[in-house]
Amino acid sequence: MFLGRVVGEVWATRKVEDLRSLRLLVVEALDERRDPAAAKVTPVVCADPLGADIGEHVVVAFGKAARVATLGMDGDFAFEAAIVGIVDDFDVPDAPASWKMQDVESLKAARAQRKLGDSGKSAGA
Amino acid sequence: MLIGTVIGNVWATKKDPTLTGLRFLVIRPFTTDGKISAESIVAVDPLGAGIGERVLVVFGRAARHCIGRSHDIGFQAAVSAIIDKMELEDGSTIGPTAREDQPAKR
Repeated sequence: MFLGRVVGEVWATRKVEDLRSLRLLVVEALDERRDPAAAKVTPVVCADPLGADIGEHVVVAFGKAARVATLGMDGDFAFEAAIVGIVDDFDVPDAPASWKMQDVESLKAARAQRKLGDSGKSAGA
Repeated sequence: MLIGTVIGNVWATKKDPTLTGLRFLVIRPFTTDGKISAESIVAVDPLGAGIGERVLVVFGRAARHCIGRSHDIGFQAAVSAIIDKMELEDGSTIGPTAREDQPAKR
């Protein structure tokens, strides 16, 4: 399990049958990169039964825990990572600045604004 | 689970008998900073992804389930979906192949 931050969302049409109706989010682990210039980690894709939003801090579990948390049971399903908690707050003394929680509502508004700007531009063109 | 780009195929004649008839792909994981990942993954592909396509890779039990040959199979990673679109928080979108990627608009 790890503490991460939701950075994106994924859509796929051609997929294994039991991924249907699962929301898939892209989560980047919060870890201490000792070198600030170091390459970022590969983000993890997780099933999202809770409805997390981009920018939110989440707890991610793998394997059986992920399947139970998502579907309420274990079994043969084509995913092995899931968001099992949306973080309200955390207290890690000496946490790096990049761990800081952001105001999700303002991020959402900024994204909506950007989308609006895009559609306005394409309508004008 | 992670996102990757298919960068090639692998063929092997001498292999575990449970792997007969399966297609292997070489996949390079996607990174959020645009740098090319140094690692690569070999995954079984039951869907038919082509070179350059973005795919979702699963591991372990989920992968064996995707391959669909009961649980006793000598492989750990499988392609479970072919990505249409991925939207990131900075406003950039990642398409089915690198050609359809759109950078963040400022």
